[in-house]
Amino acid sequence: MDKLQLTLAIIKPHAVKNPIAVSYIRNILKRKFVIVKTKRIFLNTVEAGNFYKEHEGKFFYNRLVTFMASGCIDLHVIGHTNAIELWRRMLGPTKVYKAQYQDPNSLRGMFGISDTRNVAHGSDSTSSAEREIKFFFPDFSFYDWYNNDEIRYRKGPIIFNHYLFQHVRKL
Amino acid sequence: MNAIKSSLYRRLPSLMVYRSVTTKKKIPDPDEEEQLPIFKYPVSKSSDRRVYVWGMAETGALGIHLPGRGKRGKKSYRNDFSLVWFPMRSSFCERFDVTQIACGYGFTVAAVKTDEQHKLFGTGINTDSQIGYHAPRIGHPLELLLSPAPIYIPYKSLETKITGLAAGRAHTVILTDNEGVYTLGNNAYGQCGRKINPKEEYRGSMVSYNIKRLGKENINYVCCGQDHTLFITESGRVYACGWGADGQTGLGTYDNQDIPAPVQGDITSEKIVKVTSTVDCVLAINDKGELFGWGNSEYGQIPMTSKCDQVNKSYALVNFTRGLGKIVDIAAGGSFCLIVNDQGDVFVWGFGLLGLGPNVQHSTNPKQIPPALFGRNEFNPESAVQKVACGIGHLAAVTNNGDLYTWGRNRHGCLGLGHTKDQHFPLKVSIGAHVLDVKCSVDHTIAYCKPFV
Repeated sequence: MDKLQLTLAIIKPHAVKNPIAVSYIRNILKRKFVIVKTKRIFLNTVEAGNFYKEHEGKFFYNRLVTFMASGCIDLHVIGHTNAIELWRRMLGPTKVYKAQYQDPNSLRGMFGISDTRNVAHGSDSTSSAEREIKFFFPDFSFYDWYNNDEIRYRKGPIIFNHYLFQHVRKL
Repeated sequence: MNAIKSSLYRRLPSLMVYRSVTTKKKIPDPDEEEQLPIFKYPVSKSSDRRVYVWGMAETGALGIHLPGRGKRGKKSYRNDFSLVWFPMRSSFCERFDVTQIACGYGFTVAAVKTDEQHKLFGTGINTDSQIGYHAPRIGHPLELLLSPAPIYIPYKSLETKITGLAAGRAHTVILTDNEGVYTLGNNAYGQCGRKINPKEEYRGSMVSYNIKRLGKENINYVCCGQDHTLFITESGRVYACGWGADGQTGLGTYDNQDIPAPVQGDITSEKIVKVTSTVDCVLAINDKGELFGWGNSEYGQIPMTSKCDQVNKSYALVNFTRGLGKIVDIAAGGSFCLIVNDQGDVFVWGFGLLGLGPNVQHSTNPKQIPPALFGRNEFNPESAVQKVACGIGHLAAVTNNGDLYTWGRNRHGCLGLGHTKDQHFPLKVSIGAHVLDVKCSVDHTIAYCKPFV
């Protein structure tokens, strides 16, 4: 069996403010992935700018940064043997105005409002997933996780903790 | 003794069974017909209004609260359905005289004709206190309201009337006749017109803000995009505040604006009568029926001579709409624009399901939707579209016969056509009333109607 792949799912501010969207997304996450870590944070403009450094200079950079700094965001580190691709496929195309016709049942097609307010973010490759998880969880060590915890999340025994919204070891 | 008593009791009911039945033929009374009460179907007053709602019901934005079925205890509700895909008559609006109504992202606000404190009611998502503070226990504010609840606003006088309402993604703007504008809800971008406090907690906040007047003038009209607010003053000047990252505030910058400021560009010398915005693109018309626009233009909604995705100053679209006649109503959706002229012809441009055919398409020029689709034919040559409205992917038009036509993306059944499939051309919605106005939000739609009889 393949090892688990980790990716970062960020639920953007407008979706966090919609209880219906949050419960729908959380149900899907819980059912399809193992959830390793969950955190709700509030970014300021500087942090959001650092996070989206790769987009600096593009026309939508300012709008993306001000949007991400406008409210709480939910961070989920999720694991699956094919986590990166599966999560991006569930999200659908990046542009909501196109996603709602191309893939109406994707998360973006259902809950997106505009090309910036596109429900959630997903890492696009293994290296960027690692960089993004390190950005929000500086004390999360990939090396330790793959050596000590990965086998337990893959084979169990684990149990889902609703309060923390993550899978934990079953005692 | 006891035995006699009990036998008496036992016999008593049997006595009552025997009744005398008359067999005499009844002679009809000649005056009976005049004495009979006359039953007449109720005729509605001319001021009566009906409100029909449809779309996503899980958020509570429809305010439909049906009593429980069977014996499931006192608290059994029947609003456990997730979407309503046909128009449903709102019972709230039967009990109150609703004068204004507005829908935001997952919530609805309605103004009621009354001289009491509670002039405004709201239902739906309340995570940013956009429909006021509602707490069953102190310190436990509700994040979701399934049926309408009164919103407290500190009016200075109870005679104040609400003359306009607008709602965005998470804020509400209330226009009154002589107390200016009240704003409620999220102010992360300054869309409430007050100073931005990055640490502010919006959940369970009781803050409402009053903007008395702008530039020493009274405010006549308000309009909300998702995260920005637009005001028109008495002399037809437009003020804007809120998120400006796409230029939707029209102030010449891409920054957030907290205090409303006059929109720059071509409209400064014009008398603007209507401004409209649903997401990030803004359209405006002046008293001569000329079109202006600013904001997001990634899909060519605001066609400039030089290609520009974010227009941050108002721009006259007179050349673009040349030959279309006087424009009377406008609507700006997420990726397209919709206008109607004084002949009742509807034109559309941008990207999406525009109603011109079965495919999602991109149109750079205004294209007319055939008037026959809006019911204009040989038998009905007078039929003309009067009002238009847009959600982010769906479009709606109201004709002078009181018919409502919808088309476009059918997100959560917001077209009201009885299914959740996308609609490629305008189709009449079956509503049992004369439609006067329609309000579209992201995933629900509200029709403000007059009864037929």
